[in-house]
Amino acid sequence: MKPTRAQLEDVLASLDGSGLRYADVRWTATHEQHVRVRNGEVETLASTIDRAIGVRVLVGNGWGFAANSDTSEESLRKTAKRALEVAAASNIASTQRVTLSDIEPYVATWSSTYEIDPWSIPLEKKIEHLLQSTEPMRGDARIHQVSGDISCYRQEKIFASTVGSFIEQTTTEMGGGVEAVAIEGDEFQRRTYPNPFGGDYQAAGWEFIEQLNLPGKALEIRDEALALLTAPKAPSGRFDLIVGSAQLALQVHESCGHPTELDRAMGLEISLAGGSFLQPSMLGNFRYGSDLVNIVGDATIPGSIGSFGFDDDGVPAQRFHLIEKGMFVGYLTGRDTAPTIGRTSNGTVRAETAARIPIIRMTNINLEPGTTPLADIIADTKRGIFVETNKSWSIDDLRLNFQFGCEVAWEIENGRLGRLLRNPLYTGTTPDFWRSCDAVADRASWRIWGLPNCGKGDPMQTMRVAHGAPAARFRDVEMG
Amino acid sequence: MRTEHDSFDILDQALNAAGTAEADAVFISTDQNISRFANSNVHQNMSEISAELSLRVIVDNAMGVASTTVFDGAEIERTAALAREAARHADPLPNFSGLYRANEPLPSVRTFDEATANIAPAEKARALRTMFDRGVASGVHFAGVYGTGASSVAVANTHGVRRYCTLTASDATVIAIGANGSGYATAVDRSNVDVTALGEEAAFKAALRADVIEDIAPGAYDVILEPPATAEVLEWMGMIAFSGSAYEDGSSFFVGNIGNQILGANFTLTDDALDDAFLPFPFDIEGLPKRRVAIIERGIVRTPVVDKAYADRLGFAPTANGWSLGGSDHGSALHLSIEGGDATREELIRSTKHGIWITRFNYVNGLLEPRTALMTGTTRDGTFLIRDGEVVARLPNLRWTQSIVEAFSRIEGLTRERRRVGTWYNHFGGTIAPVMKIAGWNFTGKQQTAGMAQSSLEG
Repeated sequence: MKPTRAQLEDVLASLDGSGLRYADVRWTATHEQHVRVRNGEVETLASTIDRAIGVRVLVGNGWGFAANSDTSEESLRKTAKRALEVAAASNIASTQRVTLSDIEPYVATWSSTYEIDPWSIPLEKKIEHLLQSTEPMRGDARIHQVSGDISCYRQEKIFASTVGSFIEQTTTEMGGGVEAVAIEGDEFQRRTYPNPFGGDYQAAGWEFIEQLNLPGKALEIRDEALALLTAPKAPSGRFDLIVGSAQLALQVHESCGHPTELDRAMGLEISLAGGSFLQPSMLGNFRYGSDLVNIVGDATIPGSIGSFGFDDDGVPAQRFHLIEKGMFVGYLTGRDTAPTIGRTSNGTVRAETAARIPIIRMTNINLEPGTTPLADIIADTKRGIFVETNKSWSIDDLRLNFQFGCEVAWEIENGRLGRLLRNPLYTGTTPDFWRSCDAVADRASWRIWGLPNCGKGDPMQTMRVAHGAPAARFRDVEMG
Repeated sequence: MRTEHDSFDILDQALNAAGTAEADAVFISTDQNISRFANSNVHQNMSEISAELSLRVIVDNAMGVASTTVFDGAEIERTAALAREAARHADPLPNFSGLYRANEPLPSVRTFDEATANIAPAEKARALRTMFDRGVASGVHFAGVYGTGASSVAVANTHGVRRYCTLTASDATVIAIGANGSGYATAVDRSNVDVTALGEEAAFKAALRADVIEDIAPGAYDVILEPPATAEVLEWMGMIAFSGSAYEDGSSFFVGNIGNQILGANFTLTDDALDDAFLPFPFDIEGLPKRRVAIIERGIVRTPVVDKAYADRLGFAPTANGWSLGGSDHGSALHLSIEGGDATREELIRSTKHGIWITRFNYVNGLLEPRTALMTGTTRDGTFLIRDGEVVARLPNLRWTQSIVEAFSRIEGLTRERRRVGTWYNHFGGTIAPVMKIAGWNFTGKQQTAGMAQSSLEG
């Protein structure tokens, strides 16, 4: 049952007194549909609908949060009461003062847009599209598996708070992709389009799946998967590295997005994912990358899954620099963390559903495009490696030492792309890597990539974020 | 947590609504309380009541799945219609012999602790406050998580299989952070864990050799792995090697090696949900009774773990590892148990000429080259240099890149004592492992903080 504004405001009013400093109540209904075909069979057809309510209260310096999958009015009242009990317990072991940055009350409605409703497309058509995309990849005995995925996602969300806000938001998304697995002897190669783990995702409708042109790209990745079986192994040593847009998006995610989360820098996420090397004392005076490196957080980009109207603190979506001309200038913040660095929230607090506590999450964290065409960067590279499409990712608990593996690489010799290379790995330390960036490709190679599976928090919350990135060149990077 | 009567009432409605000859359904209800803390301060504290119904219907040997969190008649009918529509569009499962129907008796295991189910948030907060206060005295502050919960799990199918079990779980992870280093301790149990004891264990590790920091060059070193480190590697092995889907897609090193000894003869790994000293549970969510499954026995590859559909498809004996209806893994080992040896941790350290003692790993990734289980990751919260059998210094966090197939062929010792380790995605079980000594673990880099402001973590 979708609660009314009056019901939510009644619940908030019932919390008054007892030292309540702040409260909010959220309701979500999350609809997902996943279709997967594999080797000519429909392997997965699953639909889920998850409904939840969550009540968050601040009493004294103790936060309390309670949630329930029963969204009835009676459950709402019980859940609110439980949140007060939890806050009382928190005050036993809360040793630090909580300060919230100021915010205006908002009464608003926001929706992402689409041309063709994902749920208006019959299952038959989704299946047929995936089979048309994947079946042509079969035939060669070395192709062990071909598969394709289409995902639909819609979340309806209502937020009300004691600040006086009442905000309704709906996000609709689609994602899709294909992959080919080639095996010969002990060699195993997987090639995906446009990205692994279900493909690419946008806040859009069926039109996005058509734009991806999965049938038109499938044979290309099949051929690359086969070619990788006998391709030479990517070399070890130090090389000039050109990182393609899809891989650079993940590099931004891991080595800029996460370390600029202020809760990580404050140690609040140490127990699971770790901290951050970017400490508040470094704001404005730490050279993170070269002058060419400009990274922004921007939750206002239409059509991206990292966009929204308001975060789960009720703060409007914003655009701001994290890295400006190579200098570290900003964090992702929320109302309870921004005051610790003397700032106000820039609106990045979100929860997976109403059953989870809102925490700082990436929005669209984008490396801004440069001015040089990618072809000119390649032509300007005497000896190097071009890598694309993530295969493996690992970074230490401060987001400093990383190692990435990619699905595919090409040798660069005297300004030309040469031989295909398999199993490329590159490694480095975040600031050294970004400081070595001496060319950022122009907008022609820039693209936003949707990542619907960013994990953080405990209980783990999977968040939908995105990254815009062009290709870029990095000098003297260690490979292997 | 719902009663047996309430649970089966919802399941019966779902099976009736399915309207097909074959269907099964799972209803899981959970009450949980989770406290997160950092800088010796509780900063997130939550209580959640949740319930979810999943319904799987079979139409002409093809399967469709739908789930919901609303359980009135209309919603259950709608969920059933979604599942039927999905099944009508799916393909018949190869060799599928139907849903489980043998209805064998369940093993008797201890899964529930009344006191843990009823622990109040205030009681947990008092335990955390005690730990925080002790930390002030020992010069450390704490970060971590402390959770308790109780669940009911009910399974039913159209062949008359009906299973119901309640379980409790308590888990905690504690990181102690001192001036020159951090330490870590973790526990998971069916009964409430002692979080203050974990705080003392973590504080000990944080203080150990905190005044002696050394560096080490990349290369191969003998390692002593604590159970949390091994457990993180095994999580990835579960995905890339042990699951039915990894076997089917050819990425698992089990392919072509069933019956072959490719790991060390001193390595035996089972999926064991029957051991009362571990985290027992009597059935999987397809209703099959849990059993002790040898995955690797004295180094010999025995079987992937599979759900019913993949047991039929791949021709393996059922292993009772169906933990999601319609999920893509087709078998998950949620009760990984490494057989212990006869050593103590101290003996393993004393036997090491030049090696590294590792408390835990961070951000392991097992997708580099799955056929050899080549993985990478870093160490954290207590990495120590062993020289001539003594722990002599604290090391920076190190990056490693290592084939686990090769590493588990070079195990030089295992302790008698084993410890349970939980993980965020596994509410039924975890890993139980001894401390292991492994020769020649390959380290390829380190965390370099020189020239940067120090964070609160070791560096």
